[in-house]
Amino acid sequence: MKHRLRCWPLLVAVACGAGAIHAQTAASPAAKSDWKVPRMPDGHPDFQGLWTNATNKPLERPKELGAKEFYTPEEMVEVNKKGYLGERAFQPEAHYDFSQYGMDALQAKFAPNFRTSLIVGPEGRIPPMTPEGAKRNADRAAAAKGHEFDGPENRSLLERCLVFGDQEGPPMLPPMYNNNMEIVQAPGTVAIFNEMIHDVRLLPTDGRPHVAGSVRLWRGDSRAQWDGDTLAIDTTNFTSKTPFHGSSENLHVVERMTRTSQETILYQFTVDDPHTWTKAWSAELVMGPAEGELYEFACHEGNHGLPDNLKAARLQEQKATGGTK
Amino acid sequence: MSTLGAFGQTYKAPRTADGDPNLNGIWQAMNTANWDLAPHAAHAGSIVALGAAGAEAAGIGVVEGGEIPYLAEALAKKKENAANWVKLDPEVKCYLPGIPRATYMPFPFQIVQSKNRILFSYEYASAARVVNMGKPTKAPDHFWMGWSNGHWEGETLVIDVTNFNDETWFDRAGDFHSDALHVVERYTAISPDALMYEAQIEDPKTFSRPWNISMPLYRHLEKNAQLLEFKCVEFVEELMYGHLRKKASP
Repeated sequence: MKHRLRCWPLLVAVACGAGAIHAQTAASPAAKSDWKVPRMPDGHPDFQGLWTNATNKPLERPKELGAKEFYTPEEMVEVNKKGYLGERAFQPEAHYDFSQYGMDALQAKFAPNFRTSLIVGPEGRIPPMTPEGAKRNADRAAAAKGHEFDGPENRSLLERCLVFGDQEGPPMLPPMYNNNMEIVQAPGTVAIFNEMIHDVRLLPTDGRPHVAGSVRLWRGDSRAQWDGDTLAIDTTNFTSKTPFHGSSENLHVVERMTRTSQETILYQFTVDDPHTWTKAWSAELVMGPAEGELYEFACHEGNHGLPDNLKAARLQEQKATGGTK
Repeated sequence: MSTLGAFGQTYKAPRTADGDPNLNGIWQAMNTANWDLAPHAAHAGSIVALGAAGAEAAGIGVVEGGEIPYLAEALAKKKENAANWVKLDPEVKCYLPGIPRATYMPFPFQIVQSKNRILFSYEYASAARVVNMGKPTKAPDHFWMGWSNGHWEGETLVIDVTNFNDETWFDRAGDFHSDALHVVERYTAISPDALMYEAQIEDPKTFSRPWNISMPLYRHLEKNAQLLEFKCVEFVEELMYGHLRKKASP
């Protein structure tokens, strides 16, 4: 039964059942009324464990759905048959079937989510860019065109094993596979260990200010605080090298993590960058428990793809010019 | 291991809420072990342009007894490694450092300690590992950073690290190991702001007997100390892939 959505037993009623379910948030918590937020010895919620943010929902709402923000349970049954990557699961022009790499989420478990898109609100799409943002991105694309294989810095961040595309974040969106993270907590620190690419976000909760503005970081500089039982994370100090859907280094990300049941964390984020978008925008997804352990993703250490792509480009150039060497 | 007594084992660390010695914090070694575990004098570096800034600082050594008990064939390889370290040292390529080297590289690391899981996050190359403090688990494969199972022995966090690959080194002096490496680490607080770090290194394919290193680790006390990024992959792209760059048109 490869093409069947797998669900966690406790969530079967929500994820797979066809009963009438009132869906006004991403996941109607399946929590029993006696469920209580597990807590650390210091009284704050305990988020510890292995989690996955795999989802079968797109970031932006398909245009044909208009302002429809939620699927009905009946519609969800059909949607879930399509899996995570949908049509992207197999690309005929590529030499491999993504399912071989566990990249098709029909092979992965994901938490139920009635949303039609991760972006919330009636628009469900990334707002228009400001003229400045549009020009910067157009210039960047124009400068890159025709130079895709010139050198390592022309390749994607993912292929270079620097960060896992714009999914590693923050904000953290599911990468193609290994959508796993482990959370470990100690008084004053929440640590999120992303499997891809073996990177730990160390979040201080002691109210300290951000580092100096001159310190720019691939994953930004994050500070967290407890807003009741929600962990609110504020991140600034990005570089211009990690544009999140076209953002600039002025990107400001606010994430909110709330444990909504034993098996779910509601992950919400708002991104703002007046140098890129006409307004801030927000999205949310539901994280569920991941199985097993986090394994080492030694990407750079085994990177044959990047040098092979560059080698192939040089060989093609030689061939095109009829060069002997 | 017997070194700890010399550093004063009478200290009792503050406890976590779970009753374990509290090792949370940002720590760093203050020695030249990453240059050479063995006692060594200062000498010139390999990059002429860097002059004194690139020279190797001296060190009294961190190997108990002073000598690493190499098997004859392995000793020859260590010497060859040392002679070619710029070309062969995995650190130069920004590869994951392995254990114990991650501990004494010239970068801080942070311990995030929970009852059942203890996270070690290293600034160098975003290296990290989670130590399982529950029932020991078996590794499904070999890893650059090994596979860590830990437990408490009184004041000491003991971590049994197995399932390494044979790719990492111990220092820039070419000290190396095989995939049979087995490391037993011991972390013991010796004052509010210092830990004693000891590691027993065993590898019957490379060494004639187990041997030990030890060194203090110091807490970062500066206000708002935090790990920053050292994502060095970017810094080695020219070195590793520069020859594959498109040449400028003539």
